[in-house]
Amino acid sequence: MYLEVMDGKVTGTLPSMNHPISEGSLCIKGWNAHEPVHSQKRLTKPLIRKDGVLTEASWDEAISNVAGELARIRDQYGPNSLAVLTSAKCTNEENYLLMKLTRAVLGTNNIDHCARL
Amino acid sequence: MSADNGFEPTIIGFLCNWCSYAGADLAGGSRKKYAANVLPIRVMCSGTVSPHHIVKAFQMGADGVLVTGCHIGECHYMKGNYMTAKRIPVVKELLGFIGISPDRLMLDWVSASEGEKFARVVTEFSDKIRSLGPSPLKGRVHGRVKEESQASA
Amino acid sequence: MEELKKKVKQALEEGKIHGFLGLKADEGDISPFFMTKDNIAELEKLTAPDGRYSLGKILSRIAAQNPGKAIGVMVRGCDERAIIELTKASQLGTASTVQFGVACTPQTAEKCNCPQPYPSTIDFGEKAKSVNHGELLTKLEQMSVEDRLAYWMAQFDKCIKCYGCRNICPVCYCQECTLEDKNLVPGGIVPPATPVFHFIKAMHMADRCIDCGLCEATCPSNIPLRTIYRHMRKVMQELFDYVPGRAADDKSPLGTLEEGGRLIH
Repeated sequence: MYLEVMDGKVTGTLPSMNHPISEGSLCIKGWNAHEPVHSQKRLTKPLIRKDGVLTEASWDEAISNVAGELARIRDQYGPNSLAVLTSAKCTNEENYLLMKLTRAVLGTNNIDHCARL
Repeated sequence: MSADNGFEPTIIGFLCNWCSYAGADLAGGSRKKYAANVLPIRVMCSGTVSPHHIVKAFQMGADGVLVTGCHIGECHYMKGNYMTAKRIPVVKELLGFIGISPDRLMLDWVSASEGEKFARVVTEFSDKIRSLGPSPLKGRVHGRVKEESQASA
Repeated sequence: MEELKKKVKQALEEGKIHGFLGLKADEGDISPFFMTKDNIAELEKLTAPDGRYSLGKILSRIAAQNPGKAIGVMVRGCDERAIIELTKASQLGTASTVQFGVACTPQTAEKCNCPQPYPSTIDFGEKAKSVNHGELLTKLEQMSVEDRLAYWMAQFDKCIKCYGCRNICPVCYCQECTLEDKNLVPGGIVPPATPVFHFIKAMHMADRCIDCGLCEATCPSNIPLRTIYRHMRKVMQELFDYVPGRAADDKSPLGTLEEGGRLIH
């Protein structure tokens, strides 16, 4: 898959015509892969809901918050009270890492992928 | 023919405002008897009837589509019906190639004074569609047969 | 190829062209690229591979960014025809093109089933024989109407509505696409309204299709789209003696109010 870039902005997607697997085809997600890149609605900073209001937070704060909450729920209700949903927008490697995190760290097999929804 | 099984075709008629609609008016006004299968839609010119309208009519379950306009050279927009005359044969070819009998689409010219012709065209076209039977697209939801989509739901 | 690179380089340096659009090979991956005098080293990667992209479409986007400028473009037979159609539809704006013709190899011509695998002027390669396999078209034309409907419905039911055929098509340039009209093609349903979706595309292709075959090549469901469009090309030729992509001063009979073809009186 190729992204068309014009003046530093991603403007379109093209399939790779000589790719041995896709052979020049893309699915609808592939064809529109460029659309979220410059989207105004895109989340660029972590937000934490404080007293019902989403407030900007630093990465450190957000990550320790998530980790703390996950650990709390795991310890309180057991690992199977957690579930993880991964994304088609992640790479293979990212999905693999998320699988490892879920099974080895969180201790549950409850992991699935959005493509199976 | 298939009049036995009681099939009455539904035909969408696109009638141009200046000639054919007036022609239809005249046919009614002079109490001409003609088939009641055509549902008329008044358009300003037969040239404004896009292939999209025609295919949408078939998709919605029409058994036939009739397009009528002013005679060549008499268009109230000078050359609007030239467009119709060129476009309809192309649409017919495409319909035929995709598998919808091109006979289900008809183009004819009816002027405001031709009430009798309008009655004749409508009756003849209705008879033709009656003999062709219901449209093969009838009963499909977005192209799929209704029962099928219900079964899978 | 070296000679072609030299030609392009010279044109760039002399200022005859502002930039150049072609195909490059990067570790075996073929992709389109656009370069100007500032990154002339890119030119080394220029290639005329087996793979194709719709350079005409990319050119129209570049032309919109560079009004009034001359843009060099590597053209094959299909790209040349696409540029003719885009010019007719005023899609290149005020930008002009300098074309560097590349003839396809017999293998590429065979793979693309291309009746005209070379542009009008050739700067690189040799004219390959034209290829024209039309077995499916002939078979379909001889079928009964009922069988054809069954055939196409089965094909159209495979459609996953990826819009790939439209996205890749070098002569699909509309900003607002009829295929996204909710009244004609209701959203959220796959396969999309059959046969309306494909009927609309075919109708729009009738006076535009340059028979490059990219739609069929990119279709993930392998719908033989090109066969429909080839039939429409044939119809246009028979009715109006009109062939899209033949000459820039041709006018589409479906786009003009003139008399033409077999008028029904």
